[in-house]
Amino acid sequence: MSITNVASEVIGSVWKVEMSVGDTVKVGDTIMILESMKMEIPVEAPVEGTLAELKVKPEDSVDEDQVLCTIES
Amino acid sequence: MSEVEVPETLEDRLTQLRALEERARQMGGKEKLARREAAGVMNARSRIDALLDPGTFSENGLLGVSTVFDEDRERTPADGKVAGFGLIKDRMVGVVSNDFTVKGASSSTTNMKKIGHIKRTATDRGFPLIFLGESSGARMPDNMGSEGMGTMLGNDPHQYARERETPWVSAVLGQCFGSSAWYSCLADFTVMRKGGVLAVASPALASLAIGQTVEPEDLGGWKLHSEETGMVDRVVETDEEALAEIRKFLSYMPSHNGETPPISEVPEGSDEAAANIPQILPDSRKRGYDVRKIINCIVDLESFFEFKPRFGRTAVTGLARLDGGVVGVVANNPMAKAGALDVSGCEKVTRFLVMCDSFNIPIIMLVDTPGFVIGIEGEKKKAPGKIINFMTALQMCTVPKLSVIMRKSYGQAYLNMGGGRNSDSVAAWPTAEVSFMDPKYATDVVTWGRDASGAEKEAIREDMERNSTYLGLAQIFAAQSVIAPQDTRRYLIEELKIQHLRRSRGIGRHKLANWPTTF
Repeated sequence: MSITNVASEVIGSVWKVEMSVGDTVKVGDTIMILESMKMEIPVEAPVEGTLAELKVKPEDSVDEDQVLCTIES
Repeated sequence: MSEVEVPETLEDRLTQLRALEERARQMGGKEKLARREAAGVMNARSRIDALLDPGTFSENGLLGVSTVFDEDRERTPADGKVAGFGLIKDRMVGVVSNDFTVKGASSSTTNMKKIGHIKRTATDRGFPLIFLGESSGARMPDNMGSEGMGTMLGNDPHQYARERETPWVSAVLGQCFGSSAWYSCLADFTVMRKGGVLAVASPALASLAIGQTVEPEDLGGWKLHSEETGMVDRVVETDEEALAEIRKFLSYMPSHNGETPPISEVPEGSDEAAANIPQILPDSRKRGYDVRKIINCIVDLESFFEFKPRFGRTAVTGLARLDGGVVGVVANNPMAKAGALDVSGCEKVTRFLVMCDSFNIPIIMLVDTPGFVIGIEGEKKKAPGKIINFMTALQMCTVPKLSVIMRKSYGQAYLNMGGGRNSDSVAAWPTAEVSFMDPKYATDVVTWGRDASGAEKEAIREDMERNSTYLGLAQIFAAQSVIAPQDTRRYLIEELKIQHLRRSRGIGRHKLANWPTTF
């Protein structure tokens, strides 16, 4: 079993979270959508597994490279 | 003068020669080599073996040694730089591999002559030059004093003249100060192994000079160069990976600027991915997506080789193959700063355009940008100058340039991304929106100073949006074609046939060939 950190590629804020802890994710599934420079930036699952932890909630500010959630595979 | 006595007979001389050659191949000695091996780091000769096709290395200067001080003759095998010629995928290359186990591969008279010879031969005979960097800089005390300086450095008036006659490649495989740093900056492609350091001078010297402790990673580590300076194109974990990256890069390049890049077989399945583009492109104009997914749907399967993926991320640049031929791809990436081009993005694109044009590689631009990033930060970094460097480079490129407007193309960025006559042919997707600025801001500009109602502003904005579609471009022939996203691959393959430089057999005019290598 391994844990994968999913990090933000941009500075921005969390617009909405589309999945819940415990959900099964496939590669490319949208976990949440950030807002940066008036653009909606989807955060996609890089690996298959189960969404183990959500570290942010809507309206939180996020930094580049900040871990947003973890996936257990 | 050498103290080694040369025997009388040919047979004895040959025996002596074999012994001297064997000694030279031992480099800085077993202990130093063992320490490197234990650390998982290759040496100058094993790097060459892994880089070249097996058994093709033809060494020059094996018996070269330092002759500045007599006592150095015995302890400077190959004078610390292993040099010669060999094949990569059956094509000739010149290679200089720094041997850090011999006086830190520092530069002195004999090894500088060796570099000069390899470089001259590669340029005159038309093949790439590869520089495997790991060196400490000028040799001490050889270079000290006015006579040392006058003798060693500055005696080759073409040493740093970069006219891009042939591709140059550099690898940062350890500490790279002095010549290894300079050659990295001069190269068309630089790969760095994590743990390597690329800087003007060593952390120790920097610490001495400024009285502060300087960490190697801060001074010139992979993060600095892959994310902030952009002086490194790719970062890898091991020497082996670095050498594989060099082989891969050269597979896209012609041997010299008088020929076109090699044609490859088209992998099976390359035509199928384009059908997925409509699923990748979001319905909402506000939704970001990773443009690399779209590039991978258009080019030959798994052929996209990205440059500087962590630097200037608002733009994506890389070499790829389209129907077997090499192309340079420049794309905006809405995932970073909404695709708005910033200073780093401009520098990255400019450098890439210069390389493509110098080596007869057609350019494909995939456009989705709301414009240039504006604000104080960019202005302090000379944003207007960077934008115009990019623009000048694009207009001076003489290889075929094709532009596909996928979504947004606004203002000056419309020109920089090949809009109008800035590419040889423009195609628009039906999702294209082109204007001078985002209608939301334009509405404020045109109603400036008068008390326009919300409803009036809304009407103006809607009108502007209606006038920003692909249809306007098509009707005034500012786009030569309107294509479905899923037809982009097919369109580009056909359009490249039309735009092929028949009169010069695919060879451009290389007007950018002597541009600087760092922007």
